[in-house]
Amino acid sequence: MSSADAIAQAGKTAVLQNIHGTMAFLQKFPPFNQMDTAHLAYLVENCQLRFYGEGETIIQPSDGVVEHFYIVKQGRVHGERPHTAKRGTETTFEIATGECFPLAALIGERATRTAHLAAEDTFCLLLAKAAFVKLFALSNPLRDFALRGVSSLLDQVNQQVQMRAVETLGAQYSLDTRLGQLAMRQPIGCSPEMPLREAVRLMHEQQVGSIVVVDPANKPLGIFTLRDLRRVVADGVDLSQPINQLMTPQPFHLPPDASAFDAAMAMTERHIAHVCLVENDQLCGVISERDLFSLQRVDLVHLARTIRHAGRVETLAALRSEVRQLVDSMLAHGASSTQITQLITLLNDHTVCRVIELTLEDMGDPGIPFTWLVFGSEGRSEQTLHTDQDNGILFEAQDAAEAAAIRARLLPLAVEINQRLAQCGFTLCKGNIMAGNPELCLSRLEWAKRFNQFIHAATPENLLSSCIYFDLRAVWGDPQGCEQLRQALLSDVAGNILFQRMLAENALLQRPPLGLFRDFVVARKGAEKHTLDLKVQGLTPFVDGARLLALAHGVTACNTQERLHALSQLGVIEPLDGAAYEEAYHYIQQARLQQHQLQARDGLPYSNRVDPDHLNHLDQRILRESFRQAQRLQSSLAVRYQL
Amino acid sequence: MSKFTWFSGRGPALTHNQLERLRALREPAELDERSLRQQRFVVLDLETSGLNMRRDQVLSIGAVVIDNGAIDLSQQFECTLQRDGHQASASTLIHGIAPSQIANGVEPAEALLDFMEFVGDSPLLAFHAEFDQRMLARALKQSLGYRLRHAFLDVAEIAPLICPQAKPGLAGLDDWTAHFGLQVQERHHASADALATAELALILLSKARQQQLDSLPALLQALNSRRRQRAYSM
Repeated sequence: MSSADAIAQAGKTAVLQNIHGTMAFLQKFPPFNQMDTAHLAYLVENCQLRFYGEGETIIQPSDGVVEHFYIVKQGRVHGERPHTAKRGTETTFEIATGECFPLAALIGERATRTAHLAAEDTFCLLLAKAAFVKLFALSNPLRDFALRGVSSLLDQVNQQVQMRAVETLGAQYSLDTRLGQLAMRQPIGCSPEMPLREAVRLMHEQQVGSIVVVDPANKPLGIFTLRDLRRVVADGVDLSQPINQLMTPQPFHLPPDASAFDAAMAMTERHIAHVCLVENDQLCGVISERDLFSLQRVDLVHLARTIRHAGRVETLAALRSEVRQLVDSMLAHGASSTQITQLITLLNDHTVCRVIELTLEDMGDPGIPFTWLVFGSEGRSEQTLHTDQDNGILFEAQDAAEAAAIRARLLPLAVEINQRLAQCGFTLCKGNIMAGNPELCLSRLEWAKRFNQFIHAATPENLLSSCIYFDLRAVWGDPQGCEQLRQALLSDVAGNILFQRMLAENALLQRPPLGLFRDFVVARKGAEKHTLDLKVQGLTPFVDGARLLALAHGVTACNTQERLHALSQLGVIEPLDGAAYEEAYHYIQQARLQQHQLQARDGLPYSNRVDPDHLNHLDQRILRESFRQAQRLQSSLAVRYQL
Repeated sequence: MSKFTWFSGRGPALTHNQLERLRALREPAELDERSLRQQRFVVLDLETSGLNMRRDQVLSIGAVVIDNGAIDLSQQFECTLQRDGHQASASTLIHGIAPSQIANGVEPAEALLDFMEFVGDSPLLAFHAEFDQRMLARALKQSLGYRLRHAFLDVAEIAPLICPQAKPGLAGLDDWTAHFGLQVQERHHASADALATAELALILLSKARQQQLDSLPALLQALNSRRRQRAYSM
């Protein structure tokens, strides 16, 4: 049978109840949901349905070249490979209902590299290779999916994120907006006989860039703009002339129903900065280039500059909402969570610097050089919109007496800076990890002594502190002292295996919320019922693991992804593992960011908790895979430190 | 195809072609010691006009095949039988087959020949198999004058044999599919029920193999001794 005939035949049998039912089931999952119905019918009709009891091997390397394409109809499949460091096996991935395997082996016409086992009683649909090959040639969605594998899934997630962000940007950001809606203010018009000087005064009083010359019926005859004024003045023209001698006659106009896009096109094509809106031959508005520009995404450079030059703390506080809009807009333009957290960190750094400078201006500069340190997520440059203050001050002093004297002078300033930062939306730290705390306004030697204590007197409290303070960064002032402190810290940790072991134990405390039998482990009761914590349960394992390995191997970076990257390059972790960890971390962070944006928009308090049942299938699947990577990182730590 | 109809005193009226096909039907195979994995089964579900095994009629047949330890989705049987003067009744609500569908169905002799050709020499599996066996046997007798001798295995009987630890009182197909967490599509449709029964059978056959009951004779023997034990204990 030719493949065309086979597909036509499949179309007929698709009316069979069971074929139909199985198709309906598959249509809930990618790539089957994008496949042509006839192709999908052909797939189902050529499948067999097989049962595998829990623990039964479905396919393994010794089976030779893969002969079937498998789809999990019900149950779960684990990929297992021999453990790299200890005896036994480790689970490398999990395949759940609606997912398929082993794509790489099937397309590569080879055996699988991993044994696939039924993690629970499982039904799989098996499509013989010949039928798969036929479909592979015919169905674009299947081919794309098979060739791009999981990375195509990640693309889909990103597209989804972008679409959602675009939806929430609202009409005011759309180039489809009616011009009539954008031209808020009354147009400024004048008679043809008005002397130019008077017309310019009118423009100045009304703070507009253009004036439209109209006849008594309010029909536009010409337009005069600031650009024209520049030319007129440069030419040395007499300003008492009537304006109709100097205006641009027959100005370009559009109806108020035209779109912002139409106006933008016209301006670009004609090199004009103003478009008249005319309805029934009467002037009803003017749209300027600037009106359209304000539609476009908030400009990062501009925002950064505004923050850097803000004259008052109130201005800085007001700019926070623009940061949120910027994040929205960046999500819409496909920015990754890494770019966004870096951007937020950058803008926050600007805000912190500006607050410090303004406070110094207001309270008087004590004339003592100091460095503003930040810790925790701020130290790792991983801030989201939800930001706590974790900061301190470092200064140079010869001895304890001098340090105490300097501290006394800097503390009032530090307290005021903390308060002003709170005004700008940086929540005051509940644990009082703030520069205004005398214990955190220290000389470099005092800091070094304190860090040394954390490492050598390993109480639970010190361990917790080291997880916050050892992610440190200088934001304002000379960074030299901070780097010296870091070097001392790294050499201290590198030589202390006991401390490393304790950090490792600590890094295993937060287990990713994956159960043996259910997809996600969620809170059982209370207000947090059915939810899991993306930050504590999802990100913390990566952050803690990366910190430990970075400190132990002399990596100076603080950012989790930079740390993982550096560790891969040093050969401390396998490059493939490092890339997988980075990707997983990135995805969880992205999910968290999206959540925060939605909460901010709905006026809800920020929360890191999500109900996995509220995520769509694709997000659930990738989130689960990301948590599994966290588990793998943890088990590699357990092996490394023999826990 | 010949329109010429043969009347024989006892049997039903069949066309020449139908008689040819009837003669060509295969004898049921001997139940041998081959592994359950190698055994072909036809899993059957019937929708009938009611539960009276002497009066009610078969309205539709759904069947799937278990071959080489897997349900082969390319081998499926689904057929609604034409029944003159069929009235909607209480069971219409259960099987959901409208009288108009019955009127448009396949002529019973044709449908049953198609089905028996589909079955071949394989043993049959059904849930509460006695009912399906007797309804099918009667329909075959009436429409074709054929005596059904194929082995029938009852999934409702195999299930508690293989899973004695399951809580007692699991009776219906729904109970057992729920017990194993099977996701069943639209039920109470002959082919959907046949598929659900077949999925259940796949699990049970897999577990039977683990319990060293890896051939039909071994399985039937175990079923018999369970029947005797139960008769004794009553």
